[in-house]
Amino acid sequence: MQSIFERSGGFAAISKVVINFYNRVLDSDTVGPYFENINLATLIDHQTKFIAQVMGGPVAYSDEQLKRIHEKHAINQNAFEEVAELMKQSLQEFNFPQDDINHVLGELGRRAPSIVNA
Amino acid sequence: MDMEKISKMLFDSLESGVAVAEPEGHEILSANRRFSEWFPGVSGIGCSLDDVFTDISMETVQSCIDDNRPFKTEVEIKIKRRAVCLALQITASTQKETPVLIVECQNISKVKELEYMIQSYTQMVEKQNRQLRNEKERVEKLLLNVMPKTIYEELKEFGVTSPTKYENASVLMLDFVGFTDMAISRDPANLITELNDIFTAFDRIAEQFGCERIKTMGDAYMAVSGIPEATPDHAHNIARLALLMVRYLHRRNATHDRQWHCRVGINSGAVIGSIVGVQKYVYDIFGPGVNLAARMETFSGDMEISLCEDMLPYIENDFAVAERGEHKVKGFGQKKIYELTGMHHASNAGFQLAS
Repeated sequence: MQSIFERSGGFAAISKVVINFYNRVLDSDTVGPYFENINLATLIDHQTKFIAQVMGGPVAYSDEQLKRIHEKHAINQNAFEEVAELMKQSLQEFNFPQDDINHVLGELGRRAPSIVNA
Repeated sequence: MDMEKISKMLFDSLESGVAVAEPEGHEILSANRRFSEWFPGVSGIGCSLDDVFTDISMETVQSCIDDNRPFKTEVEIKIKRRAVCLALQITASTQKETPVLIVECQNISKVKELEYMIQSYTQMVEKQNRQLRNEKERVEKLLLNVMPKTIYEELKEFGVTSPTKYENASVLMLDFVGFTDMAISRDPANLITELNDIFTAFDRIAEQFGCERIKTMGDAYMAVSGIPEATPDHAHNIARLALLMVRYLHRRNATHDRQWHCRVGINSGAVIGSIVGVQKYVYDIFGPGVNLAARMETFSGDMEISLCEDMLPYIENDFAVAERGEHKVKGFGQKKIYELTGMHHASNAGFQLAS
């Protein structure tokens, strides 16, 4: 079965989601502050890889890596849910089918134990 | 509205951040609205450029201007929590005949974001490509274990391979005397480890002498020469391989507890090589040349190598054989059987079997 990544047009389509999601995250007062002191290149890099991954693109992060990346920041369930909500909004904005949105949110939720640490 | 007001309005409505500064002390003479937004608190009239761009060496700026070229760089600022990337250009100009510095900043964050995203994605894809390449090499290596390289190339290119008849090839069959009894005795795992060591040694010898292992089945080992690349030395190669295998076992037995005794049959003749199976590939060989080698093995005693009159003409000039009389060979009628005992030439002393 093709992944969402392939079905929706590969990186060309996903890139729009990355930028949209990135803007939403930074504008959010709940999760924006987490990203305040991370430089642009690193943040974009992480978001590109992560979104590609939860959509079934080329896999980048293991759960172990996710844990390591997030352990410096005290991330609570509330912040995690906000990010999931922003992701949902980004996907809705680009008219992704509901099934695909559910799938992505499922993939995201599955990784909560590696990300939420406070 | 006078011209000055209009230019001030235009100045302020620019998307770029622009400031004019005094060239010696870098004091800001004027700055538009955008510039003040981007650099709040340090960009008012009378402030110094040195405080706006703390990371930039004004000496470098000056040396560019002395060279009559603009100074260009990128600076990152924070607006709220967002990193904004600016392309900065400082040029020398004049205002009412007084030399000034024109400072221009353009927001290139969108371009940077895309650039970083492409970099990130490229890295991901390159990494995946490397993994795929490694995986492909691993699979290729595995397939080369079960079929000769030329056959693998054919399979890769055409998707199928056709059985091929090789008129001139030689085959070796070997098995171990009493292996079944050895296996049920103590420590079967260790036994298989030893068998594996021996077969690995055989593989090395085979490779060295232009032979190729076709397969092993239990304790049986089958090798061939002249397939898939023809060679006029196929019979010599196989005869040498047989002698060296026996010699290897003699030497090994001298230093190991467990004794391994083989029987070997060799033969030259026509052989058909083919891939068998679709999901599970095995490259195998068939034909009378193969069957006769298997029959020869049954004529061998402990650590002996047997061949028959069919192969003799190929090797008799160079190898020493001993006649073992005429026997009925199942499926082949009466054949004169010989035992291979060594090589003729003194330079091949290493190939003489211990008597």
